Amino acid sequence: MAVLTALRPIGKGLAFAVVGFLIGAGAATLLTTITDRPATQPVITLGYLFALIGWVLGVGLWDNWAREWFGLPVKNTEAFGWPRYFRFTTDHKTIGVQYLVTFVVLFLLAGLLSVLMRLELMAPGQTIMGAKDFNTTMSLHGIIMIAVAVATFLGGFANFTIPLLIGAEDVAFPRINALSYWIVPPVAVLLILTPFFGGFDTGWTAYPPLAVVNATGGLLFVLAFLTFGVSSILGGLNFLATIIMLRAPGMTWGRLPIFVWSIFAAALISLTATQFVAYGLLMIILDRVVGTAFFDAARGGKPLLYEHIFWFYSHPAVYIMILPGFGVALEVLTHFSRKPLFAYKYVVGAILAIVALSFIVWAHHLYTSGMPSYLHLPFMITTEIISIPTGVIFLAGLGTIWLGRLWLTTPMLFALAFLFNFVIGGVTGIFLADVPTDINLQDNYFVVAHFHYTIMGGEIFALMAGIYYWFPKITGRMHSEALGKVHFWWMFIAYQVTFIPMFWAGIQGMNRRVADYTPELGGINLFISVASFLLAASFLVMVYNLVRAWVRGPKASDNPWRARTLEWQTSSPPPLENFTRPPVVVGHPYDYGVPGSVHSAAAPAGGAGDKETH
Amino acid sequence: MNRHTFIVAILWVVLTILGEALVAISDLSPLAAAKEAAIVDGAFRVLMVLAVPVVAFVIATLAYSIIRFRIRGEPSQDGPPIRSHGRLIAVWFAVTSGLTVLMVIYPGIIGMNELADLSHEEPDMVVKVEGMRFAWRFTYPEQNVSTFKELVLPVDKHVRFDVTSRDVLHSFWVPAFRMKIDAVPGMVTTVHATPDKTGTFGDDTQLRLQCTELCGLGHSIMTVPVRVVEQSEFEAWVAQQTQTARR
Ligand SMILES: [Cu+2]
Ligand SMILES: [Cu+2]
Repeated sequence: MAVLTALRPIGKGLAFAVVGFLIGAGAATLLTTITDRPATQPVITLGYLFALIGWVLGVGLWDNWAREWFGLPVKNTEAFGWPRYFRFTTDHKTIGVQYLVTFVVLFLLAGLLSVLMRLELMAPGQTIMGAKDFNTTMSLHGIIMIAVAVATFLGGFANFTIPLLIGAEDVAFPRINALSYWIVPPVAVLLILTPFFGGFDTGWTAYPPLAVVNATGGLLFVLAFLTFGVSSILGGLNFLATIIMLRAPGMTWGRLPIFVWSIFAAALISLTATQFVAYGLLMIILDRVVGTAFFDAARGGKPLLYEHIFWFYSHPAVYIMILPGFGVALEVLTHFSRKPLFAYKYVVGAILAIVALSFIVWAHHLYTSGMPSYLHLPFMITTEIISIPTGVIFLAGLGTIWLGRLWLTTPMLFALAFLFNFVIGGVTGIFLADVPTDINLQDNYFVVAHFHYTIMGGEIFALMAGIYYWFPKITGRMHSEALGKVHFWWMFIAYQVTFIPMFWAGIQGMNRRVADYTPELGGINLFISVASFLLAASFLVMVYNLVRAWVRGPKASDNPWRARTLEWQTSSPPPLENFTRPPVVVGHPYDYGVPGSVHSAAAPAGGAGDKETH
Repeated sequence: MNRHTFIVAILWVVLTILGEALVAISDLSPLAAAKEAAIVDGAFRVLMVLAVPVVAFVIATLAYSIIRFRIRGEPSQDGPPIRSHGRLIAVWFAVTSGLTVLMVIYPGIIGMNELADLSHEEPDMVVKVEGMRFAWRFTYPEQNVSTFKELVLPVDKHVRFDVTSRDVLHSFWVPAFRMKIDAVPGMVTTVHATPDKTGTFGDDTQLRLQCTELCGLGHSIMTVPVRVVEQSEFEAWVAQQTQTARR
């Protein structure tokens, strides 16, 4: 009975979604009958749109928020205990956990898809699936991992930690925050449904004309991507406002923890750039559903236009993923070196410079696309200039551990590995920014290896650092450090063994996104496949460790790492209002070893903390 | 220079020498069969040579720090409060900026110019290439020949490929030539190659034309053998093709 009550909002959301679908599908059927156009795609599109609206209204938007637009009293459906994770709640910590758990599950699912891909690629010829299923598997792996890379930080950790790190009670727009989470489940549902609608075979990039003419699964994918984009835009907006408006007294910009800066930068990109890909996807939907011809060359459209729009978002988007990775890695390196973050001001400058540069490099993905060749040089120059601010991140990381007192905990090991992986990801990026080499390497396994070194070796290793670092704070339980280290070494070694050979496979002529290859490449592919299975298995250790600790691990102390930042100055897990007495920031977060320095003090009773001083 | 810095410097130099030696003795590149390929492979080598000291520096510093500065268990003391170091930061900026400028110029701009010089020469021959799901059609306008089966080219002739697509995006890539251009519907894109070695797909699979832009179901099998032959053999092939077409 308790379970049923707890799941009531979900049930209501589903019911509203069905009603919404029927309304949308009905309207579409009517319209297509009048205009005498094929009905399937309009029915799905309008049906989904209304189902999405119904879902968010039913799951809690109506009761908690929308009622007040019509002068009705809102009903507070907040709950305590585990049921709170299954409803529209506004507490940033609950939403952070909702995001983290959802996306870690999706991460494991997409990892499983990569195992299926590697099974197929183990030997030349067909192994376990045909080309159609391979394309769908590969495309799903791609888009789910992209979503994971964006949302674990900007949705998960940003939600849980940013208000704590800046000494706030919640985010600026708690209800928008809940909304941005609750429009994610439909994305997952659409993606999981794609195989039943003919799959989709465009990869996550959805280049037209293929994305316009492929099976209906392709439409589901584009709708899912667009919905996820809306969620990221809302998330970006929320964190910008939160960081600008809600910093505790004394939390000046110069005292902001580096993870907060990195989220600020990522949110800036997320708010602005995501809108471009949304328009690109909308144009694909219009081409498919109402027969416009944005990308149909025969009717005057330009397929190349989409590539520009897409990468105008998607290059900055890699910085939505990697900047928070830099942030967590530097954060962890600092606390576990017991030394101030080296060159803090330069790191902030570098992060902001990367944001600016990220918008003017997109066409490095287009050297072989047929765009005019006079554009090659400027984009090569801007792209290679990014190495300079990226170099500052390394200066800070290495400068921080130098002469430090390194405490090699699990999060610290992952943060150190981040530096190792990212230097490989970074220098191989130069080969792809450089026009002569990219003409050959574009779209082959060298690219696959490169972006896995930056996104997985960089961001996902940083994500692991973040998971182990904040786990005690989030759950109030302590994971096993011994198992954490087993996970680290297993994952680190299997990771290198999986991805280093991919560079070589690419140089030898293995191109990406293929279900089959020339027989000479059989040996290297078998090797990569076996290594990738070992890599996948390493996550079982993590799941076992974290699930066990969450259920019956020892209670964590408030500050098991003895870190100085604000989230560790409250209980584990923090109370609903985050701090029993609002904190006042009086010093730099990273002044380890500075005699007598403190980062924060609790406000004196009587609420001096309400007077904002920034 | 203190002891730590000195040891890391030694470690760095040793790793760099080892790495450069590895780059020098190992030949990563598969069969190259065009003038353009030599330029691309040259640029690749230059970048490898430049990448080695960068990676070696990070590994040396990282490895030394982990071994030398680790504390067993929880550190009871904080490290020295070093927040910044003006001279180091200035040197760091100078070196990374210098490396960036170097990379942009060489192999970047110089390699691009070498490729552009080759492509600006008047082509000896034009081949029209049309991609379609899931095949390639080659038309030799001067020879009045057209085929789907294989791409036949005379050796030491500068060829311009005029590439387009009938349906969705494809990409024209011959690994042995290291050259690539997308086939875009409604557009003609060009790519140049000057094959400088004779050979067939049977000798080396690098001599193949492979689609490298995901185009759907048959994408991975959208490959066609490439055959580079002597001029006389090419003419014989053209004659034979014309005959079969007439028959
Ligand atoms: Cu990019
Ligand atoms: Cu293709």
